Amino acid sequence: MLVLQVLANGLVLGGLYACIAVGFSLVWGVLNVINILHGSFIVLGSYVAYYAYTAWGIHPFVAVPLAGAVLFLLAYALQAGVINPVMASPVLTTLILTFGLDLLLNNAMLVLFKADYRKVNLANPLGVLDLGGIVMPLDRVAAMALALLLTGALYGVLSASRVGRAIVAVRMDREAAALMGVNVGRIYAVTFGLGAVMAGAAGSLLSVIFPISPLNGPLYLGKAFVICVLGGLGSVGGALVGGLALGVIESFSALAFGPEHALTVAFALLIVLLVVRPTGLLGRRGYE
Amino acid sequence: MRRALGGAAAALALAALAALPFAGGNYAIRLATIMLMYCVLAVSWSFIGGLAGYPSFATAAFFGLGAYAGAIAQTRGAPAWAAWLGAAALTALFAAGLGVTLLRLRGHYFAIASLVVAEVLREIANSATGLTGGGMGLNLPILRIGVTAQARFYYFVMLALALAAVAAHGLVARHRLGFGLRSIQQNEDAANMLGVNTTLYKTLAFTLSAVFVGAAGAVYAAWVNYIEPADVFDVLYSVKPIVMVLLGGAGSVLGPVLGAVVFLALEELVWRKFLTIHAGVLGLLIVALIYLLPGGLLTLRARRLRA
Amino acid sequence: MKTLLAVLAALLAFPFGPAADAADKVVRVGAPLPLTGPLSPEGLKQKRGYDLWADAANAAGGIRVGADRYKVELVYNDYQSNTPRAVQLAEKLITDDKVNFLFSPFGSGATKAASGVSEKYGIPTIAATASSEEVYNQGYKFLFGTFTPNPTLTEPLSSIVKAKVPAVKKVAILARNDLFPLAIAQEMDKSAKKRGFEVVFFEKYAIGTMDHASALTQIKAAQPQWIFATGYINDLVLIRKQMGDLGIAVPVVTMIAGPAYKEFVEATGKLAENVSSAAWWHPAVRYRGQDVFGTTESYNRAFEARHKAVPDYAEASASAAGAILQVAIERAGSVDPKKVRDALAGLDAMTFFGPVKFGPTGQIVSLQPPVFQIQDGRPVVIYPEAIKQAELRIGVK
Repeated sequence: MLVLQVLANGLVLGGLYACIAVGFSLVWGVLNVINILHGSFIVLGSYVAYYAYTAWGIHPFVAVPLAGAVLFLLAYALQAGVINPVMASPVLTTLILTFGLDLLLNNAMLVLFKADYRKVNLANPLGVLDLGGIVMPLDRVAAMALALLLTGALYGVLSASRVGRAIVAVRMDREAAALMGVNVGRIYAVTFGLGAVMAGAAGSLLSVIFPISPLNGPLYLGKAFVICVLGGLGSVGGALVGGLALGVIESFSALAFGPEHALTVAFALLIVLLVVRPTGLLGRRGYE
Repeated sequence: MRRALGGAAAALALAALAALPFAGGNYAIRLATIMLMYCVLAVSWSFIGGLAGYPSFATAAFFGLGAYAGAIAQTRGAPAWAAWLGAAALTALFAAGLGVTLLRLRGHYFAIASLVVAEVLREIANSATGLTGGGMGLNLPILRIGVTAQARFYYFVMLALALAAVAAHGLVARHRLGFGLRSIQQNEDAANMLGVNTTLYKTLAFTLSAVFVGAAGAVYAAWVNYIEPADVFDVLYSVKPIVMVLLGGAGSVLGPVLGAVVFLALEELVWRKFLTIHAGVLGLLIVALIYLLPGGLLTLRARRLRA
Repeated sequence: MKTLLAVLAALLAFPFGPAADAADKVVRVGAPLPLTGPLSPEGLKQKRGYDLWADAANAAGGIRVGADRYKVELVYNDYQSNTPRAVQLAEKLITDDKVNFLFSPFGSGATKAASGVSEKYGIPTIAATASSEEVYNQGYKFLFGTFTPNPTLTEPLSSIVKAKVPAVKKVAILARNDLFPLAIAQEMDKSAKKRGFEVVFFEKYAIGTMDHASALTQIKAAQPQWIFATGYINDLVLIRKQMGDLGIAVPVVTMIAGPAYKEFVEATGKLAENVSSAAWWHPAVRYRGQDVFGTTESYNRAFEARHKAVPDYAEASASAAGAILQVAIERAGSVDPKKVRDALAGLDAMTFFGPVKFGPTGQIVSLQPPVFQIQDGRPVVIYPEAIKQAELRIGVK
């Protein structure tokens, strides 16, 4: 009974985690850029949803496209203007660059929105779903469902649309794609933008569940790391599997080792995986 | 002539450094001590990141480990010098062991793994409340020798560490090890094929990048008298040395030192003037650095000289 | 010729220089605060409290030091919620800004860290937000705190629950892994066991935990009648909401330290009902003080006039730190650090905050922290008897 509840907790959490990570995985897999800004993008999406709710009464689930649009514009501009020029540089350069950009964005949010934790307090909370003693808060279940839907939509875009297939082509072989007429720079910008859209959407969905503050950025980023390594880079399915896996692992390790160790277990797992199976549960061989 | 000038400049610098604590007030000495600590961190990172080209984010892990090792020893009655040496040795051993597994990774994977090590160590420090005080932190005994004497004492200890790190770096750079590391950075597979023992060299570089940092951590703990996991395992201790080396210019030992000095000056200036946006200003500095000074400050001089 | 005149002018000006300074006597108090970063809400509360005191003192003409009146000047610095910075700033305030006295940074951890500096320099320091005994156990002579030790909160709480809620046999404790929240949870563990309660669950959660479902699921399975959770306001809001999500309903829920703030009630809405807590002060207390504010009511009025809100214990404690310092200076008749330090150590005074007497470790020992409960959306005092406003209500959904 306890075990089932813990499993349910983990799965619901896992669905949310998948949405957090899929954008990050895409950017890492296609551009070979570790986007340190990802956590802050999620937080920004949360703020968009928060202000849309408090100012205009728009439900955060409905604000998802708005958050996505804002993030896409920001990210596209960043990639096209600031990151593209240094794409040929060593790994360290892009990593430090996104780190620096994140410092800027995070500080800007701190100044604009303050560090106080905000919460979206829905006027009509959704209540709780009770399945024979297993309790699941409906707002989380709904958020998870939407997250999975969005992830599915991304998958659709990647496999069916022209832009999507160009992205996949660049991921597989950049030079060949360029030879085939793909504007690699533009594809990079679109991919970065798409990653940010997913982050913003995730943030919007998460605003009803977690407190909102620029200080949460690094926490989301840390989870995204672990999920990508768990599930494998560059594939939507990998992010999904990794997210669900992390949710369940965290839930059960809190039961087994105590809640304060949940984070350590996740990170220790990350290191073990990196050394033993860096491609993760599903992924193809990533960049070295 | 050049060498004589260089030697004279070095001697002058040393004399100035030795005289500093007697010229400035306590706050100035504090700043100078931090600057020397930054030098140790930056030069240490240069072993693995500058010479071998492996983007290590493990500096925070080594710093925190050294801090706790030293602090725990001192609170159990060990004399300071023994605690500090012990912390350095422990950190070096840890790095060597860690390197066996981590150094098989490359690029992003190595970077993330090294970053995560600090997180894991931090959580362990947080949980082992009996040993480390957990979230409540650890208090170290105060040196009862008067404030100014204390400030000067820790300044000289940090100076000794910085000189040791710089000397080690200079030796390695001239030695076969340095040559081997540079070849690893250029093309590891080729170096392997040419007979360079890449595993041994990388592990040595990783260990060197840890030993002085561990000692610095232990000294830091004794200096500030109170440490908490979140403070000594702060990810910024991994990022700042990298920025310092990028700022000064990788490859030689002068680059990291110059970078550390300039970085501290900027940090202090920014912190005093731009309280609420200092993190953003650091971010801006990083972006500007990557665009305007990809080789670091030293290349700026070289370019000017040649022109 | 011109130079001679200039030199003469300078010489003539000289005696007037210091005299001009002498008319302006100032007491400078340094206050490193977390004005940005995770603890900024707390830091801003402290600043409000300090400012209110400084304004009140200056409006009354300044602090009386013998025959002179000294103006109060507060020197703030932001340590960005970063403890090592707090320590660095404390030293800077003493050596560079030459403050006469210090107020500690926020919270037990940073207070403990910075206290080493003030001890080294011999600068009397008052801690407005540090209650854990671990902060005061270094044998320092220059540190004083306005919060009573943690057991003074957990003991009355446990006694009340033991007496009024016989249904309670099992207790579950969930603590944030941080100096104060963990320390007070450990005290609660002791207080509960002393009274024969069974502690069926005692776990820590990491700082920055965003999801407490696992811990709460385990708590639910252990079926306690009393849940005790510690943390800072954002942690407790999240825990309370997730308790609601998981359908946890028990006779008594106690949380420290968030329910005292109106932000807690605003964020949790109906879920805040019947949550109990304890704090070091409550606006409902009534004392007739000898300090610059006078009675508790006049303090409340002064605060409300300035900020349009009822003061909470953090704000009041900061004002109290200033008021207590002022009383000590006036009694010492001097701003000499050693004399003021001795005055503080031997202080026995009544203030708007309560009776003030410091124990041998420098921590205040004379106060009776009130226990309160949120009823109908407002915190209501249920202990001590003298200021009790209502009875404990049982049952938290």
